[in-house]
Amino acid sequence: MSNVIILENVSKKFGKVQAVNNVSISIEKGSAVAILGPNGAGKTTTISMMLGLLDPNEGKVELLGKSPKQVAVRNKIGAMLQEVSVMDMLKVHEVLTMFRSYYSSPLSMEELIALTGLEKADLKKKADKLSGGQKRRLGFAIALAGNPDVIFFDEPTVGLDTTARRKFWNKVESLKEKGKTIIFTTHYLEEADDFSERIILFNNGEIIADGEPEDIKRNLTTRSVSFETEDQDAIAKMETVDTVMRCYEKDGVVYVVTEDTDFVLSELFRLNISAKNIRINQGRLDDVFEQLTGDKEEAEAG
Amino acid sequence: MKGILTQCRFEVIRIFRNPYYVFWSLMMPIAFYFIYTNVFNTELPDQDEWQAHFLMSMTTFSVMGSAVMNFGIRMVQEHTQGWARFMKITPFPSWAYFSAKMFGQMIMHLLSIIVIFTVGSIINGIALTAGQWIAAGAWILIASIPFLALGSLIGTMKKVETASGVSNILYLGLAILGGMWMPMEAFPPLLQNIGEWLPSYYFGSGAWEIVLGNPPELLSIAMLIVYMVVFMYLAIFIRRKRQV
Repeated sequence: MSNVIILENVSKKFGKVQAVNNVSISIEKGSAVAILGPNGAGKTTTISMMLGLLDPNEGKVELLGKSPKQVAVRNKIGAMLQEVSVMDMLKVHEVLTMFRSYYSSPLSMEELIALTGLEKADLKKKADKLSGGQKRRLGFAIALAGNPDVIFFDEPTVGLDTTARRKFWNKVESLKEKGKTIIFTTHYLEEADDFSERIILFNNGEIIADGEPEDIKRNLTTRSVSFETEDQDAIAKMETVDTVMRCYEKDGVVYVVTEDTDFVLSELFRLNISAKNIRINQGRLDDVFEQLTGDKEEAEAG
Repeated sequence: MKGILTQCRFEVIRIFRNPYYVFWSLMMPIAFYFIYTNVFNTELPDQDEWQAHFLMSMTTFSVMGSAVMNFGIRMVQEHTQGWARFMKITPFPSWAYFSAKMFGQMIMHLLSIIVIFTVGSIINGIALTAGQWIAAGAWILIASIPFLALGSLIGTMKKVETASGVSNILYLGLAILGGMWMPMEAFPPLLQNIGEWLPSYYFGSGAWEIVLGNPPELLSIAMLIVYMVVFMYLAIFIRRKRQV
């Protein structure tokens, strides 16, 4: 598989603020990648550098094997960016005609309409008079106008309601099936989990996790058994137990992370560890993100 | 190439759909023209000459307005709305985008010239030769380019409010001091001296000479070229500096 995007040791500073710090990413052709992170994590800066809108202070960016600023590259990419309003005084179908004229092999108007869910009635409206949701659909259509191989979505669903969000992702699914490479940023873990094959988790301008959603989740959202004990060897003992993924101590409490809490409990008694205040902690999907970014902050503080 | 043509077409459509264009660039100068040549009795010795002179004044006033106000403010708008940034990720080159905008503006200027000339000549029955009409129209169209350069200089501003305020003051200042509203001879000497350094005066002057049967003075052409170069240089300089 060839890489469509390569970032090598890329850093970007805005004044004194280190927005992106020594980031390396390779993205395979045809994959769907989520860049996940809290606000201000460096997601948009990273996407902007991938697109050639910002130059990194250090490092190298390649898009489709070339500089993202080359016309040949731009002909094969599409994007939905934040804070871009629609050109005024033009009707929706005119905006689409205009954008289609920029590319050497654009999608037909019919395909665009079918792919983006724009309605016939919307086409004749003035682009700047559309509602928020309709504007987003137009933005989506503009991103696809050139029949791109690589598509970028920067926070595509912010401000959309649940229904509109689901519709949007259904459309993205159909693009994935067509073999497009999709890169999107989001601060909703759920979206990253549902629609990507790979999550790159950003915090404070750095990558703190990179892998399949399942892996990231497995490592962090499993349940744990926690207890207090005087037994110095408790962690070592529990680590030998089947199904235990890791053990650690925090604030005098031993945590045993596992897929099977029942089994760990029975082993805890079988091994005769004198434990007090035994609890079973339910891992929640939503915590993954907080946990990862939280761990990161602690590591930095420590 | 097809891309540029499509873009030119849409730029023209965008300009004509703008209601401010019709009002400020066409209605206002025509209304002024009517009032100054018919309602107020100027009691000038040569009424015909004044009417032709003032028609040129109002046409240059209109065209200068679209170049300075419309062009510049729209550029700032597209910038603040993220549009200019978005265009960078399309394969459509920015020089082509800029050219299409210039083209749209020139079409708009041409239309203003045709409409104001036609309405003005109907109102007052101005008798100019076909050659004079064409020469005056061509002069106003071509000599509007330095004002587009001034517009693009205003287009480097960061806020629409600033751009709109500055261009309003510039526009009215240039128009009045350049003798577009009343002949410069009516000014006190100090203002006349200022006026003689302004591009708007030379813009009007070329057309005023043509309706008198003379070619535009070389000084007018030279001054306009100097202004154009200065405005363009400044606009490019500011943009470059900002990119670093």
